[in-house]
Amino acid sequence: MTDNSSHETEDVAATGDRAADDAVTAGDRAVDDAVTAGDRAVDDAVTDGGVATGAAQQHRQTDYLDSEVNLLNPSTPYMREHLRIVWTGFAIWAVIVFGPVTATYVAPGAMTTQMPIISFPLHYFLIAIGAPGGALALSAWYARRRDELDTKYGIDHDDAGDSA
Amino acid sequence: MSPFAAALLQSELLPEGLDISFKALPSVLVVGMLLIFLAIGFVFRVADTENMWVAGRSIGNLENGMAIGANWMSAASYLGMAALIATAGVYGLAFVVGWTTGYFILLIFLAAQLRRFGKYTAPDFVGDRFNSDTARAIGAVTTFLIGFVYAIGQARGMALVGLYIFGDLGFLGLSGYQAMVIIMMSITVGYLTLSGMLGATKNMAVQYVILIVAFVAGLYAVGFANGYSTVLPHIEYGALITTLSAEFSEPFVNASYYLWIATAFSLIVGTCGLPHVLVRFYTVENERTARWSTVWGLLFICILYFSAPAFAAFGTDLYAQNIGAVYGDPGMTSSAADVIVVLAAQLSNLPQWFVGLVAAGGIAAAIATTAGLFIAGSSAISHDIYTTIINPDATQRQQVLVGRLSIVLLGVLTTLAALDPAAPIAALVSYAFSLAGAVLFPMFFLGMWWENTNREGALAGMTTGLTIWGISMVNEVVPTYIGGLEAPLSASLATWMPAIGSALIAVPVVFTVTIVVSLATDEPPMETKKIVRQCHSPEPMRQQQTAEDVVTDGGEEMAADGGRAADDGSTAGPAATEE
Repeated sequence: MTDNSSHETEDVAATGDRAADDAVTAGDRAVDDAVTAGDRAVDDAVTDGGVATGAAQQHRQTDYLDSEVNLLNPSTPYMREHLRIVWTGFAIWAVIVFGPVTATYVAPGAMTTQMPIISFPLHYFLIAIGAPGGALALSAWYARRRDELDTKYGIDHDDAGDSA
Repeated sequence: MSPFAAALLQSELLPEGLDISFKALPSVLVVGMLLIFLAIGFVFRVADTENMWVAGRSIGNLENGMAIGANWMSAASYLGMAALIATAGVYGLAFVVGWTTGYFILLIFLAAQLRRFGKYTAPDFVGDRFNSDTARAIGAVTTFLIGFVYAIGQARGMALVGLYIFGDLGFLGLSGYQAMVIIMMSITVGYLTLSGMLGATKNMAVQYVILIVAFVAGLYAVGFANGYSTVLPHIEYGALITTLSAEFSEPFVNASYYLWIATAFSLIVGTCGLPHVLVRFYTVENERTARWSTVWGLLFICILYFSAPAFAAFGTDLYAQNIGAVYGDPGMTSSAADVIVVLAAQLSNLPQWFVGLVAAGGIAAAIATTAGLFIAGSSAISHDIYTTIINPDATQRQQVLVGRLSIVLLGVLTTLAALDPAAPIAALVSYAFSLAGAVLFPMFFLGMWWENTNREGALAGMTTGLTIWGISMVNEVVPTYIGGLEAPLSASLATWMPAIGSALIAVPVVFTVTIVVSLATDEPPMETKKIVRQCHSPEPMRQQQTAEDVVTDGGEEMAADGGRAADDGSTAGPAATEE
């Protein structure tokens, strides 16, 4: 039963959330707080058996212990969205890490030209600085996206410690 | 044999050009630093096992990031990487890339999930995930082997740098280098035996700061004193590259494209399987902290890794000006290369205490990493083999005792192997990465991301991984310890499955074996599957809670009430059973 309802609400939830996201981005902290407060209220309503839309509700209705874990076949809306972020990051990462050295192998002439201003040979710069720097930027990007995903699904990690 | 492979196998251990004599001020710096470590270790000394292994799991983003950084920045990063970049040029950059970018894979696929799984050690994970004490034992043996191989490189680094500071102290017929190995390892083991992991963790943040300040200050001073750079040596060395020998930057002259890819791949998957890295995620408050401390850790690591190639460029130029040709025959020896960071500071005529500071940073790097390795290795013995398999009724006292004895054992083995090491620092350390990548990474990855991975699959996969790694090691490394044998035994095997990058072959094979065997045998029990599912659930968990706690105590209720109520209900569960 959980499966059916979550599939039905998925599209609605997606568009609804996009709108909410925009509001948060456009507005300031006050809006942010309002949204959080609103979410809380919605959550309570859900617990009480009320009707609400959104990813947070899907999350409440998903039984994660009954949903198969398979990297290639995600079974919950949360994992589908999470894996979209993961694979995007992974693809960019693979290009950053193995791209420059492969390009140097294929076209050594073009890749070893000297860069303007900083005078690095291009391949040296892309390998020594581009790859580690790129991985660092990607890591921060991923951690942020994951936090945003948690917020969207109404998950708060700071609460968990206090409730113990 | 390529010039690079020849350089790898040299074991000339008196770095030419390095000023080897006793130096008062630098000695005080090193001894003072070690005393601070010991004092902190003493203040945070612990006697119960929970604190010993994971510092009571109470460490935040920034501090854990620094601990990840210190744990990572071993002698291999501080000394060995600049050495390989100086002698092997673009091939050396495979180490820069492999040792940083692997953290992203760890972050997106494993960090938070492992934190939720909530087990102390890599063998614990393997044993509990695959319900097998045999798997646990293989995991423990692997962890111990990794600690051992990795630490040989650290011991070599500590001793070479110790030569600069304390001079040639040869005693009992040992050479100056060998005497220094024994002195430095005794200090490391003595310190570790006194403090458990809480002390070590606090120290690691301190050590990170000392180490990064020493390295970066050294880089700025060397760059400034010789007119190489001013405000940003990390970028300014680019202009120097064209004036260096072509070997420094020309691609694929020292090693093939294939070897580059194999090495980088091996280091990346090794990063994701290294026990002393993974244990860092068990010490954080929650999975969000696990993620962000990985990001911070990578930032702290990058600060050093952006600096190392610059240091190598400066060092190469100074060596060519003051000592002789860097490349060709004879060229720079591997032992001189391994101390090029210290050598560059010395050749810049910087004050002796300052060169001593740079050298002290190298020693701090080696001690910090060895500490983490020995903790992981000894917990594999005391926790996974002794307590879990040999003596399930062991008291806390017995566990701590066995843990400390195994640290001493690791120290002795490492010392013996480091007296005449087979390869430069970075290569020695890479063998450990190949092992972690071949055996542990596939288990973590498949175990976490495919719930149907089962015991038979894991056992077959781990055995395959160990075998492949073992073949490449016997082919290339073991013969150097045995008289009358010439390494490699098979040159074509060394070309296609180099010991330094054997995980490129091993990982796909181990994945295939594990998946095929898992599919051909029974699925794992439902409870195991639920534990895997719990590791991926976005529902937050409490600090002391593991995925298994949730599944056994709160699973049913959670399904019915949608979370909140189950959370409160299970709060009493684990606490009650523990106390």
